[in-house]
Amino acid sequence: MGVIELDGLEVRLGGRTVLDGLTGELRGNAIGLLGPNGAGKSTLINTLLGFHEPVRGAARVFGLDTRRDRARIRQGIGYMPENDSFIGNMSGVRFVRFMAELAGLPRSEALERAHQALFYVGLGEVRYRMISTYSLGMKQLIKLAQALAHGPRLLILDEPTNGLDPMARQRMIQTIQEIRKEGSTRLLISSHLLRDIDETCDEVLILKQGRVAALRNIEEERRSHRNFIEMETVGSTAEFCERLRGLGCECASFPDGRVKLVMPDSIEARDVYVLASENNVQIRRIHRRRDSLEDIFLRAMETEPARGELVRF
Amino acid sequence: MSVFKHEYCAYTGPVTSQRSRIGVLARYGLADAWSSKITLVLFAVSMVPVVFYLVGIYLANNPIARMLILRGGPVLTINASFFLRVLTSQCWLALVLMAWIAPRLVSFDLADNALPILLSHPISRFGYVLGKFIALFLSLSLVTWIPSLLLFAYQGYTSPQPWVGDNLRVAIGLLAGSVLWIALLSIFGLALASWVKWRMMATGSIFAAVLVPAGVGGVASAILRTKWGSLLNLPIMMSQLWQRLLGVPASPRIHKELPNAAIATMLVLICLVCVVMLNARIRAREVVRG
Repeated sequence: MGVIELDGLEVRLGGRTVLDGLTGELRGNAIGLLGPNGAGKSTLINTLLGFHEPVRGAARVFGLDTRRDRARIRQGIGYMPENDSFIGNMSGVRFVRFMAELAGLPRSEALERAHQALFYVGLGEVRYRMISTYSLGMKQLIKLAQALAHGPRLLILDEPTNGLDPMARQRMIQTIQEIRKEGSTRLLISSHLLRDIDETCDEVLILKQGRVAALRNIEEERRSHRNFIEMETVGSTAEFCERLRGLGCECASFPDGRVKLVMPDSIEARDVYVLASENNVQIRRIHRRRDSLEDIFLRAMETEPARGELVRF
Repeated sequence: MSVFKHEYCAYTGPVTSQRSRIGVLARYGLADAWSSKITLVLFAVSMVPVVFYLVGIYLANNPIARMLILRGGPVLTINASFFLRVLTSQCWLALVLMAWIAPRLVSFDLADNALPILLSHPISRFGYVLGKFIALFLSLSLVTWIPSLLLFAYQGYTSPQPWVGDNLRVAIGLLAGSVLWIALLSIFGLALASWVKWRMMATGSIFAAVLVPAGVGGVASAILRTKWGSLLNLPIMMSQLWQRLLGVPASPRIHKELPNAAIATMLVLICLVCVVMLNARIRAREVVRG
């Protein structure tokens, strides 16, 4: 059973279709949710939490339908929202304990877990201070602590490194990696920072205009040894790229003359030089490199995602 | 996960029932409400009339004390009218207490945008409102039906004649009138507090929402020479309702009595408006149209 199953999911908000027929199955231990602003990442998370009702299709978390089994899904989820979300006049430990009790922990266990969660995220020394006096980084951590305290099966982190300085960001990433390594909790991390997803996730769902642009297993992509080439060129690259695609290459061109392509095994570098010469394109620099998440993302952004397309691994 | 090991581990212990989560909200709500010194002061002020009524009942039923203290002055009669005064004073003090407590229960959550986190837990929007409602209802009970019924019980205990049996309707009226009023106040206070993020503004808006329509209703009644303007006047409506519940004869000062059906319809209408207000505001996410 997948962690999250999407079956033609369509969500409309304010008379606008925000999620348009999402279909796919997410199985990874740590799933990254990528996409430009307005792609529907937060709406997808809110739909999984039962905040938004799908107009068509369905979404399932651990096999439970988001419409029918809302309470059971929430029981197993820890959610760290993107924006500030806390009760400022409560102390850190009281807030986390309150959230743990709401998640179903008995009073004494909730208090114990609240202390543990606060020490775990690094807020142990300030746990008796009012949350309103916390810095931005501490407020991010208190949101993580309340999401962890009840030991959820799925931890949803919406932009977890938002507003953090480099040190705090590194610490947050390490914490997420530790949780992933422990293995009892699956992670769904939404971010617009590719590096965060690259460092923490093993699977990525890329959304564009409310549709699935790509669903990839990052680990497999890394292992696939694809023939990846990055070039710096001078001249019009549009026709050059078109002809490369005709040869079976995946090609992405950029306004500054950079061209990235993935070549099938049947094509050699010489063929690329020939095509460049025929299209009056000068290749100033060429180097082979590993396929990164950035490349997966950029390719996904270039393609026009189809509505309701079943994304396969 | 332990305090000293700094390692994450899943929770595998027992889990409470879904219904008890509403109790958690109510418990934390009560703690928040009563953590303020102003709440305690308002509660103490609300108990002052009760002390006076208690002394009044004592004097009315104790001839020696009456002779020593009142020295032949007028004797207080303990009847339905006396308890109507008790109910009226306590219920209006409950309004003051509610105007302070209700914003504390909701505004903190709204000011810091806590609803997405709260509602991401296994608790529905209805459960959230119900938890807060219970906290407010219990707080207001402490100054309305509980002291009123205790005074009634004390009168029954101290009266030399069998009194309780003959005046059982008064006790039922006290309970019904108080419960009706504090239930209305609770939903009314939560609805208004949910629309105003700043607590002091919310407190002011609660008083304004009671007093402004009452003034408008009075003006409308005077200009149009009709009694129906009183339907906007919550104090008049409730006074008439309490008087009928306790079986007190109508005051000769009140010329324009409202029918029970009209009062009931108006109260239901107020509750429905409050439900609509809460439904629009108590959401994890706001959706902007357009």
